[in-house]
Amino acid sequence: MTPRQSRLLAALAATSLLLAACSRGPEEGEEVDTTDGGTATTSADAGAAPTTTAETETTEASEDTAVETTTADTEGGETTEGGGGGGAEWTVSTDDCIDPDLANSPIEGTVSIGSSMPLSGGVAATAFGPVAEGFRAYIEYANEQGLLPEHEVSLNIGDDQYDAAQTPNVVNGLLDSGVNLFSGIIGTPNNDAVRAVLNEECVPQILALTGSPAWGEVADYPWTTGGLIPYNIEAEAYAQHIAEQFPDGATAALFTVANEFGEVYRTAFEAAAEEAGIEIVDAQTIEAADSAPPSAQLNSIAGNQPDVIMAVPLGAQCPTFMSELANAKAVQSGWDPQVYITNTCASPLILAVAGEAANGLITSASAGLQDVTNPEVAAADPDVQAYIDYMTNRGNADILSTATAGWNIGEVTVEILRQAAESPDGLTQASIINASRNFDYHPLLTREGVDYKMAGEEDAFYAEDIQIVQYDAATGFFTDIGDLITSFRSS
Amino acid sequence: MLKLNEGSPGHWVIRIIWVAAVVAALVYIPTKTNTSTIGDIATATQLAIAAMSLNLLLGYSGVISIGHSAFFGIGGYTTAILVSEYGWTQGWTIYVAAALAFVVGCIVSLPALRLKGVYLALVTLALAVLFPTLVRWGKLAWLTNGAQGISGIGYEQTPTWYNDHFARWQFINESISLPELRGREGRAIFLYWVGILILAVCYLVCRGIVKSRVGRSLIAIRDNETAAAVMGISRAKTKALVFGTSAAMCAVGGCLYAIQSTLAEPNLRFFTLLGSITFLLIMVLGGAATLWGPIVGAFAYVILDTRTRQAGESGEGVIGWLFGWMTGSPATLVLAIVLLIIVFVAPFGIVGLLKRIAAKFIVIIPRPAGTAPLPVSALEEPAVAGSPI
Repeated sequence: MTPRQSRLLAALAATSLLLAACSRGPEEGEEVDTTDGGTATTSADAGAAPTTTAETETTEASEDTAVETTTADTEGGETTEGGGGGGAEWTVSTDDCIDPDLANSPIEGTVSIGSSMPLSGGVAATAFGPVAEGFRAYIEYANEQGLLPEHEVSLNIGDDQYDAAQTPNVVNGLLDSGVNLFSGIIGTPNNDAVRAVLNEECVPQILALTGSPAWGEVADYPWTTGGLIPYNIEAEAYAQHIAEQFPDGATAALFTVANEFGEVYRTAFEAAAEEAGIEIVDAQTIEAADSAPPSAQLNSIAGNQPDVIMAVPLGAQCPTFMSELANAKAVQSGWDPQVYITNTCASPLILAVAGEAANGLITSASAGLQDVTNPEVAAADPDVQAYIDYMTNRGNADILSTATAGWNIGEVTVEILRQAAESPDGLTQASIINASRNFDYHPLLTREGVDYKMAGEEDAFYAEDIQIVQYDAATGFFTDIGDLITSFRSS
Repeated sequence: MLKLNEGSPGHWVIRIIWVAAVVAALVYIPTKTNTSTIGDIATATQLAIAAMSLNLLLGYSGVISIGHSAFFGIGGYTTAILVSEYGWTQGWTIYVAAALAFVVGCIVSLPALRLKGVYLALVTLALAVLFPTLVRWGKLAWLTNGAQGISGIGYEQTPTWYNDHFARWQFINESISLPELRGREGRAIFLYWVGILILAVCYLVCRGIVKSRVGRSLIAIRDNETAAAVMGISRAKTKALVFGTSAAMCAVGGCLYAIQSTLAEPNLRFFTLLGSITFLLIMVLGGAATLWGPIVGAFAYVILDTRTRQAGESGEGVIGWLFGWMTGSPATLVLAIVLLIIVFVAPFGIVGLLKRIAAKFIVIIPRPAGTAPLPVSALEEPAVAGSPI
């Protein structure tokens, strides 16, 4: 090859990388809540929980703005009755660990939390960057407030660019640097890629930011727990709601992203639809990296004229889907299907991009979080207001909505650490997973009545409560439909 | 400037020093560095194999391929399917993957006989785009598990024969010995050595091809296809053979990649078009049409990629000062800028640059084909009529 050809090839290749780095994510100020790592932010629930941190007696505040931590006779931010205690009911066995002594040895001084998230490399990084920032913010807050007595908490987030093949090396690097536990790893295949090694090493892998039902395999992978509502539960909740709206039976079309997230969701909805008597008349997919409007898919769906559409797009595909659906409806006069969309799209800011086309869609409040961008919610809940103030002072006012997912993960992680530290064994890797699997807690930013519960093999998921909500394009907020669904709780 | 004849004692001393340095580095990595570094280097060997296979095709034959990510993926998926569905041992799947990819490569080479340049690139581009879609296709889900991919295909324990015979080798003394193989560290070291071994084999295969009659045929076809045909070179046979060999080699890299990652799924970066671009970049970065280029390029790429991501995570230092305005990590942007600078400073790749620097100090005078080593004096002094040259 001549130097000119070499330069041309290299320039093309490097430009491709640049394009990948700079490919269109959301616009400035536009937050994306995508895929299985995102947590929706919904509103309309002004009945916020009082502000409490478990077993904290004194009201404390940081010098600037702090989330108030007061004792109250409510269950907000509190270890609810029967929970916690560092694992009295269920205990993990360390016999098969690579180093059982390490798993049971006390953690002194700084507790090092590791995680692996997409921080660079394209749209996923744009979508999940705020989650990482929210996580970091809470850890800073926890250290300022001394929420883990006698310990400092450090957080090291590695960048796997949302590529599952890179996660093992990222996790290896963090293990080499001596992290004590992993929390909030984003992506189902990413968590899956390191689950075996972390269980072998007996390093807790808690609050995986995905809703795959696979995180409920307690017997095989006791050191791994999921942090989001399982997709099958969410799909079942929608199917039940559809059945209520169409008592004589309904036809439905599926529109899912062609990756592991969409596949798990599709399988779950098909099973739930069969039970609910819903006939699926069309199933369309879209490539994960495809940012073009899904015209062909929606033309196919429109041709079948289903009563409802269950949509599971990815990130920026959410508003594109809604806009293209509006075009399809304009062509098919008289056809106005009810749209159900995964709560990973349920960010007010991203749905605002679709404008009026997103009006009336139905989704749910993921992980039970409130919509912190709704002024009514902030006014009614001092915790939400304190969160907003803290993040604003930190320079993160533009990512308030999506960052709640990271903040929430940070809060639950620190609470697990606190309960583990108070257990008879003290703070060890084993006591962390014991506390994690014997857990009952109400996080500060969640809705009233939402409790994160886990009970060994009986209940393998923290978040199982669902609030169905409907989007109002005029206000940009969500309206609750019915009550909080708690029937999916395992315990 | 030192001038040495090829094959002279001085040249052999340099060769021995070079080999000793490489061996010392190879032993140092698994004995003195941590698991993540060993894992990164193992990944570099896999990418080097893929880039080397592309180099054979593009660098020496001039046949453009943007579809090598598909061959890489074929390797990964062959391993995944055979391990998960049929219970094969990971190592044996490599042979099947290579054979399968060889056949696919030969078939894909058919358009290469009639197409050139950008048209051939488009055909191979289709292959790269088609592969992830194909393995995700619902009707093949019984085999590939669709969009969910196949996980849990890595080694649970390193093979017994390795533990018994090689794992406890000591170099010099106990402080430089391979550690007992347990858990992730054991697997990382094992995959490191497997990667090095297969990389060495691939290097020798490439070297054998390039320096053989086939290699000369390839270069002749690249430089002037019509003239090569006139000289009696079978273009069809040569291109098919090289395309197949290149595909097989790339698939072997994909096998190792899937084993190390413990999974194969359609969205893995190197199974998509981005993988083909990365292989191309590595080849150019190291030095196209050089045997060492892809190896050096792969190691440089992995080190740069890892370091920029780590710098981006912390957001501190020079990176933080320069790119603090970005809302996310600037890792990919920094990597692209660094790579651009490198290729503009070294248009013949890193190996080309190193050769040019080395040429300022030492010149190896090549031995003319079919002759005995040429004395240096013969080159330094003008030839006199009647004196033997």
